[in-house]
Amino acid sequence: MEFKFSEKEEKLRGDIRKFAEEELPPDWIGLGLAEESRDEDWEYTMSIAKKLSLRGWLTMAWPREYGGMGASPWEQLVYSEEVGYWGIPGSMMGVSGVAWVGPSLILFGSEDQKRKYLPLIASGEPDGVWCSGYSEPDAGSDFANIQCRAVKEGDEYVINGQKIWTSCAHRARWCWLAARTNFNAAKKHHGISLFIVDMKSPGITVNPLVSYAGHHIFNEVFFDEVRVPASNLVGEEGRGWYQLMQSLAYERGGTAPIGIGGFKRLLDELIGYVKETQHGGKALSQNPVIRQKLADRAIELETLRMFACETTWKMSQGIIVVYEPSRDKAFGSQASERLAITGTEILGAYSQVDPNSRWARIKGSIQNMYLLFPGISIAAGTDDIERNIIGQFRLGLPRSY
Amino acid sequence: MMDFGLSEGQEMLRVSAADFLGKECPKSKVRELEEDDRGYDPGLWAKMAGEMGWMGLVLPEKYGGADGDFMDLAILLEVMGRNIVPGPFFSTVVLCALPILEYGTDEQKGSFIPKVASGEQVWSLALTEPSVAYKASAIELRASLEQEGYLLTGTKFLVPYAHAADYLLVVARTSEATEGVSIFLVNGKSPGIKVEVIPTMARDKMCELTFDKVIVSKDSILGKVGQGWDIVNFILQGASVLKCAEVLGSCEAVMEMTNTYIKERVQFDRPIGSFQTLQHRMVDRFIDVEGLRYLVYEAAWEISTGSTSDLHISMAKAKANEVYQRTCIDCIKNYGAIGFTADQDIGLYYRRVKAAEFFLGDTDFHRERVAVGLGL
Repeated sequence: MEFKFSEKEEKLRGDIRKFAEEELPPDWIGLGLAEESRDEDWEYTMSIAKKLSLRGWLTMAWPREYGGMGASPWEQLVYSEEVGYWGIPGSMMGVSGVAWVGPSLILFGSEDQKRKYLPLIASGEPDGVWCSGYSEPDAGSDFANIQCRAVKEGDEYVINGQKIWTSCAHRARWCWLAARTNFNAAKKHHGISLFIVDMKSPGITVNPLVSYAGHHIFNEVFFDEVRVPASNLVGEEGRGWYQLMQSLAYERGGTAPIGIGGFKRLLDELIGYVKETQHGGKALSQNPVIRQKLADRAIELETLRMFACETTWKMSQGIIVVYEPSRDKAFGSQASERLAITGTEILGAYSQVDPNSRWARIKGSIQNMYLLFPGISIAAGTDDIERNIIGQFRLGLPRSY
Repeated sequence: MMDFGLSEGQEMLRVSAADFLGKECPKSKVRELEEDDRGYDPGLWAKMAGEMGWMGLVLPEKYGGADGDFMDLAILLEVMGRNIVPGPFFSTVVLCALPILEYGTDEQKGSFIPKVASGEQVWSLALTEPSVAYKASAIELRASLEQEGYLLTGTKFLVPYAHAADYLLVVARTSEATEGVSIFLVNGKSPGIKVEVIPTMARDKMCELTFDKVIVSKDSILGKVGQGWDIVNFILQGASVLKCAEVLGSCEAVMEMTNTYIKERVQFDRPIGSFQTLQHRMVDRFIDVEGLRYLVYEAAWEISTGSTSDLHISMAKAKANEVYQRTCIDCIKNYGAIGFTADQDIGLYYRRVKAAEFFLGDTDFHRERVAVGLGL
């Protein structure tokens, strides 16, 4: 056993801090998870993505021939933590491409697909931005119930159907699409295939879905007789479900360290706030209730860090992770919920104030977290779906649905 | 480099400990010893010391030990926690031998450590008093310097296995200053010591010890006069983590027995483990126990490599206190009425929750230490 990062990883941590100091505005705290919402924020996000790409960091863990640096999983972990801590935008370019399309293509894409799409993502250019066509109105937690169909006609597939909750579809050049190719399969998770779809194709309509926080993150996407070259099928026809499960593990596992970095930042901001803020002639930090709550949040943070490290360690040993990303995600979203609530309790009535007001505290980041955490607990598999996965695949308990 | 794997030696230790205790300390023995006046089995104790070499596991070779490291002890205590082995192992090795090794004179080490390693002596730490407060100012038992030596007068409370102890480490007040506390090595059978076993829900032989002008020689001090509270803090560091390791093992055992039961028990024509109310409760506790495991391993590894972190130690203890209780309560709920019976093992674990929780600092105490570690 060993619980220490190597010097190489600590040096990288320092380099990223330096990048944040040099490239981001003073006191920058990040755009939360709403980088793609407003045009000016998106433009800024992509300008930073380009800078990350030029440093080789954007896709550091990918093989060199596809635009990566061949970095270790540990370097990737440290990088992601720091990105989250400093709120460096653009590290995911709308999430899908960097976090799981690339890693999935490396695993089961054709050589032509790898050569075409991986360097595009690694370049940090708008043509490397992806969305994921997963959920449908009747395929949410029951994800295998996908109805969007892809029918082969000659050397093309013709796609018809609807996707929903599609993050970043309004910014994306490509869609990583799950569609049904076989309607007669014995089980509904058989007969699903994965496709690469150009979002500029005729027949695609994107409608915004605005969150209660006022952010335009996800969309409805309609496919009407959209024609896709057969060479855009990823992996084997009908094996899409198994490839998707791998992609989802990347999604849950790969985005976790960014969340952990963001968690640590908010906790540090709250610690600074209670030390500086006086109440009744005494610093808030002297209040035992506040001390106990912040201690609990710090224990949760350390637990999250250990989970992410354990998952990374298993992957670095070539162990196929099954329940671990679900564990990390389920605990992470519960911890985020508690941090957001503790934050609002510490800020008190100030937590209602919008980030752009001169009355905002900690740049409105607590309000942002409070508005976002219910979404975090739903995205990429709800907490309850994660519990089902752990119950079945780790505890070996029978399923009842 | 981060590494979550056990070394070959650690894995061997874990497996051999599990095999040994599976055979030698079944739950029937645990139940039997709960009713036994001594509270432990001298035959098992001798095998643990001799055949298994556990008393000397982390003691130096020159004193008859095996020169293992702190991580080895954590791994062993995790297995002992799974099996809730009754006896004064923790008090002898963890609470007494380790501080003697750290602060004792060569003479003290030479005369006592080999006898701990061989299993010849049982020790305990007399720290807590009826105030049950965990701070230097709460130490009221007085040690006054007279011509014949120190005279110890006062009361200690919840001293584990004191009734069986050949020797005691006694934390006593030697001056009026808040931290004017010193630790004495005292023969457990000295005239003036009265022992009474307190009935507790864990039936774990916690004792009241009364000292009435007990004479202790001047050279029976551990470390220096007035250094007692530093030594208590040293004990707190290692013993908290090892108590957490024990708790981790107990939680694992509770999870496994409950998981097995809810797969087998059928209601509404299907195993009750298929119902999400039970399944998700199980999963939440599983995540808790996983989290506890890595906090304990991290803190133990840091002690093992000389990079002790009070922050991580207190994080682990606060978490262990909460997780052990929650795991037992939720698992009893998952069992249903049968979990409430004496026939099932889960009650044995539930009755031990408070002993672990209030030993070496309760949850608020450790959260406060975490707050200090955060710079608050």
